[in-house]
Amino acid sequence: MSTTPLQPLTAPATVTSWYEASARTRTRLLLDPGSFVEFIGPEKREVSPHLKVFDLPEQFDDGIVVGCGSLGGAKVLIAAQEGRFMGGAFGEVHGAKLTGLLRGARDIGSMPVLILFDTGGVRLQEANAGELAIAEIMRAVIEARCAGVKVVGLIGGRSGCYGGGGLIAACCSSLAVSEQGRIAVSGPEVIETNRGTEEFDSRDRALVWRTMGGKHRRLLGAADAFVDDTVQAFRDAALALLGEAGGFGLEILTKEQARLEARLRDFGTCADALDIWSAMGISHADAVSSLPADEFITLADAFGRISHDAR
Amino acid sequence: MATWQLEREARDRRIRAGSAVARGKMVEAGDATRLLEAILRPGDRVCLEGDNQKQADLLSAALLAVDPAKVNNLHMVQSGVVLPEHLDLFERGVAKKLDYAYSGPQSARIATMLFGGKIELGAVHTYLELFARYFIDLTPNVALIAAVSADRDGNLYTGPNTEDTPTVVEATAFKDGIVVAQVNAIVDQVPRVDIPADRVHFVIATERPFFVEPLFTRDPAAITEGQILTAMLAIKGIYAPYGVERLNHGIGFSTAAIELLLPTFGEKLGLKGKIANRFALNPHPALIPAIESGWVTQIHSFGSEVGMEDYIRARSDIYFTGSDGSLRSNRALCQTAGLYACDMFIGSTLQIDLQGNSSTVTTSRIAGFGGAPNMGADARGRRHPSKAWLTAGQEAVAGGNALLRRGRKLVVQIGETFGENNVPLFVENLDALELAEKLKLDLAPVMIYGDDVTHIVTEEGIANLLLCRSSDEREQAIRGIAGYTDVGRRRDPKQVARLRERGVIRRPEDLGIDPLDADRNMLAARSIKDLVRWSGGLYVPPSQFRNW
Repeated sequence: MSTTPLQPLTAPATVTSWYEASARTRTRLLLDPGSFVEFIGPEKREVSPHLKVFDLPEQFDDGIVVGCGSLGGAKVLIAAQEGRFMGGAFGEVHGAKLTGLLRGARDIGSMPVLILFDTGGVRLQEANAGELAIAEIMRAVIEARCAGVKVVGLIGGRSGCYGGGGLIAACCSSLAVSEQGRIAVSGPEVIETNRGTEEFDSRDRALVWRTMGGKHRRLLGAADAFVDDTVQAFRDAALALLGEAGGFGLEILTKEQARLEARLRDFGTCADALDIWSAMGISHADAVSSLPADEFITLADAFGRISHDAR
Repeated sequence: MATWQLEREARDRRIRAGSAVARGKMVEAGDATRLLEAILRPGDRVCLEGDNQKQADLLSAALLAVDPAKVNNLHMVQSGVVLPEHLDLFERGVAKKLDYAYSGPQSARIATMLFGGKIELGAVHTYLELFARYFIDLTPNVALIAAVSADRDGNLYTGPNTEDTPTVVEATAFKDGIVVAQVNAIVDQVPRVDIPADRVHFVIATERPFFVEPLFTRDPAAITEGQILTAMLAIKGIYAPYGVERLNHGIGFSTAAIELLLPTFGEKLGLKGKIANRFALNPHPALIPAIESGWVTQIHSFGSEVGMEDYIRARSDIYFTGSDGSLRSNRALCQTAGLYACDMFIGSTLQIDLQGNSSTVTTSRIAGFGGAPNMGADARGRRHPSKAWLTAGQEAVAGGNALLRRGRKLVVQIGETFGENNVPLFVENLDALELAEKLKLDLAPVMIYGDDVTHIVTEEGIANLLLCRSSDEREQAIRGIAGYTDVGRRRDPKQVARLRERGVIRRPEDLGIDPLDADRNMLAARSIKDLVRWSGGLYVPPSQFRNW
């Protein structure tokens, strides 16, 4: 493509990029000013019991910030993963903080939960504890939702939302994602290692993004909202998603099953995301990747698949 | 009677032999190996064109397929040993001896093969040094080169990635050698003539365009706050006081950070127009914001960069372009420009020892030198003055008659005290020494000699080696900015404090820089997409750099 519809840049950007921001900056700017109260903050020094065995640096919050605050005046619980510490990976303490937050949400019953995913999956150095944590968190999400709590995931960080993070995201009431955000279980390198470059070339970043990136996930209906890469856009999306009805029960799960079956039937033979987009009826599938956020949102609203009665 | 035209007669015999598989100068891709068997003789010096960017890949494969009974013991004289085939030639016995400059991706295998005696090593050179030897004692008998297109007479268009080709052809064609070109296409008229037809003997059209590596694209998203801090120190502590206007940048992330800080941090310091306006530099995408903000006057390039073609074409005021509008690069001339017409080189390295010697060699790898030693060396033949050059010269030798004092090129090493994977940048002894002993080399492969280095920048500050008056001071100045590496922890605190009082070591606070200000928000572009936007959509990054 020799031309691109991107907005020209003539001065350094001034808005806060979600992708660039730390977990703490995201939390602070997402919530109403000054409203955030942290649980088990870094001053408690609840560090991983495993990393020092490998002579690896610890972080006092074990790479996740949890607490409560208000969003648009309403109380919410919030968890934010720090993608720059161990790739945001789930370890024992990291996982327990999120499990505890979700169980608290279940018991309270009236405060929705925001999970700011930024993770490569389970931390290899504490694999068993991490895998158990994923299972506990998934159970805790479902229990919270059974108790009527909405659990909304926000995805647009450097490490994406991979491995167990992808599984947890799939359990949420709804998800918002930016172009930079990636959602999947097996990461590009894992697929390439197991199945070869012919199956998936992890160095072809355009391929990675059109397969796992935010735009594709939104078009497929795997994410409910697509947002520009700014903290403000994520805040607006979180408010909108919390405002939408999102129950939970057998009826919803049956519809979710039907939605996924239809997706497989319609696109199961497509070899590339471009084929899926064409099959959806998008006339210039190859231009989708370079569309600016606002134009993409218009396109996704026209073609993308979302069923608010599913999930 | 003495015969004085033996080489010319030999060349004509080779051309006749090659013509048997050609129609005029044109040879089918499937006959490439037969052509090479016809024109090559055992023991020939051969330049198989390839450098850190473009590769004559079809000709490498064709050469590898020759019958070693017919073609053997070749002496390869080439810039880059980059493709696996370049080394397979030695495994098969097609080639025996090697003189080269750069071996990036093959650096581990080349070390193994040298150690195993599979390769007889002439020497590892810098680019300019190897080019020089093409005209004295390493003149190729046959050059196998790559071009974008050829017309039916054999005029070649080498396009933006012209790079080494004119030099290789000059040395070969004017000394009775044979030039074989692989081209992406045969056309009625080439966009411009980079190599005239009378220097080209055979042309092979390929199905696939020759390989080009986008080696100079640095994703702004990967720049760390540590690198931003070192970049701020360099701009305020070196570029500004010396008034460095003409320079070359290395390819590391620290120098990419400098490029991206010019329109923000540099602008705030009021340095626009005063520093960094003329470059010997490849078309780095990271420089786009500075160019668009009016910082840069002119750039001459060694090679091109994949994805930058349209941008360069649209910014011909900045770059060197041909009559067709596209970039003309020339590695030999740009290396010369970097050596004689630049006042500063700044780049990163893997290891620095206590005297400032630096090397990118680790015990099991020989990456070669490429262009850095030439960029990062004082040109003793330089005679024209500039503020930066004279200031550095004055610092190096205080006193004496100013009219008889040489200037000095600023040679700056920049990096974090702990590099990738937390490996310390500073070492007591370079791994290059161990390697030289293991391979019984006459010289340890030192990238930049300590006596050429004028400054070292880390997040701990700047060490100005020009102001050091003894090797002991030099050692303490280096230890003084080596942070918590073993080298840094063995500093003499009193001596380091004295060096700081004298301005030999300058900490961030001495320069009025708060390390907490080193934030990614200061980068004029924080992603490849930002660079595309700065370029108005003219920069088209290759797929591996797009996260959209």
